[in-house]
Amino acid sequence: MGGGNDGARMTASAPRLSRTLALPLFLLAIWQAWGLATGSSRTPVPTKVARAAIDLIASGDLPIALLVSLGRVFAGFAIASLVAIPLGLAMGAFRSVERNVDPLVESFRPIAAIAVLPLAILWLGTGTPAAVAIVAYAAFFPIVINTVAGVKRVPATLVRAAATMGLSRWAIVRTVLVPGALPSIAVGMRIGLGIAWTAIVAAELAVGAKAGGGGTGGVGQMMFVFYAYSIELNRIVVCMIAVGVIALLLDRALRWVVRALTPWAPR
Amino acid sequence: MPDPHPESFAHSPHARHAARAVTYVRTMIAFALVWAGLAAWTHNPVLLPSPLAVLQAIVDLAGDLELFQHAAISLGRMVLALVIASGLAVPLGLLMGLHLTLDEIVDPVIEVLRPISGIAWIPLALFIFGVGNVLPLFIMTYAAFFPILLGTIAAVRSIDRNFIAAARTMGVDRGTIITRVVLPAALPAIMVAVRLGVAAAWTAVVAAELIGAPSGVGYAVEWYRELLMTPQVMAFIATIGVLGYLCDRAVRVVAERLTPWAAETMARA
Repeated sequence: MGGGNDGARMTASAPRLSRTLALPLFLLAIWQAWGLATGSSRTPVPTKVARAAIDLIASGDLPIALLVSLGRVFAGFAIASLVAIPLGLAMGAFRSVERNVDPLVESFRPIAAIAVLPLAILWLGTGTPAAVAIVAYAAFFPIVINTVAGVKRVPATLVRAAATMGLSRWAIVRTVLVPGALPSIAVGMRIGLGIAWTAIVAAELAVGAKAGGGGTGGVGQMMFVFYAYSIELNRIVVCMIAVGVIALLLDRALRWVVRALTPWAPR
Repeated sequence: MPDPHPESFAHSPHARHAARAVTYVRTMIAFALVWAGLAAWTHNPVLLPSPLAVLQAIVDLAGDLELFQHAAISLGRMVLALVIASGLAVPLGLLMGLHLTLDEIVDPVIEVLRPISGIAWIPLALFIFGVGNVLPLFIMTYAAFFPILLGTIAAVRSIDRNFIAAARTMGVDRGTIITRVVLPAALPAIMVAVRLGVAAAWTAVVAAELIGAPSGVGYAVEWYRELLMTPQVMAFIATIGVLGYLCDRAVRVVAERLTPWAAETMARA
């Protein structure tokens, strides 16, 4: 599968490149032809989408909306990490903590973040705090679960060796369990960030839909305005592409950070 | 870290189940007590109703069947979306896993679409399909499609190539190799992918119903929020959690029945 063949991909041979581009270009052409044939001026087609993208980027609307959303994602993600990693470490290291806390985690985990959104709106209003809370909730579960799993996967021999050498419990957590669990924690954070980005778009969309226009920015909100008020489908498609590109960039960026921070992790 | 004080009675599976149930109930009672304390302290039943009020709401909603109606609608959409998504993704994944050229041609499109979450499709889908049944169905199918497809491709790739080579040596034709060798070998991993698909679809249905459907649990949550009937909001949030859990359980049971030879992989996944 994917993974470390980036080098190979760059030196891809010409036939391979043509195979890669064939279907996307073909689908784009079909889309364009279909859009022009059906004739409605609102139907999005690639050329109009490209023009809309240039407009939205040049006017600064799209970059600002994306920055607002990203700011919320990072704020919520930071809160989730600060709560989930220590909690996960404690749950992984101490059976009693895990036994007593795990029922709560497992009870709330199947509740999708979006389902909690109405409560968040009720408690925190339709602004940034509600969106940040949703992101934090969404990112919390993958991080805590992977942290627990990471701590448990640290070989018991390492822990016993450290204990034999007279390390205190706290020192074992700090010097054995945390580094041992770090690769798994990093995986949890990567999954959490991806989920957080999905959640912010959903949260902003729903807030836009339910708060009636008077919104607070963000790319999800922007999409809803294009849908409900100005009916500009080309711009909606631009936003969708932007959402996808950011998702991809976040994933790649975190992958790179993880690789740089935990060079000992198996992959 | 190994438990330094293993409970002496925790040896038989029954005793272990019982002990776990006791801890579960204990934790949830503690949670309910904290919640009740907070509710009494804020003294605002719209902001934070007491656990008893939520329980009452659940009983009432279940009593006049409203709870079950919305649950049945959402679950029905879920099953239908899952069938469509699997019907598309599993055959495509099998072919992409077996044919490198096909994979090279289709994969770029998948990789372009995959980062665009199902939820980001909601505004455009609202415009195309309008508010109704098709919108949540489309969003869920889209959300479930990618995990199932990628899981199927990976499952096919991880099959021991010797199985296929052996079958080929014995003169088995292509179609039979796929149905009798590739599919059984890949099925446990495919079922794990289906579980991921179910989780993705369930998240998406709530978002889709919240914004663009006239029925279902997501719609009910938002409806009661607008009415400021918080106990009912929380009752439906709990329903969403329980249904999500049951869906996951159901897929797990189906997977165990379907692939009894892979009990170990499923348990670990």
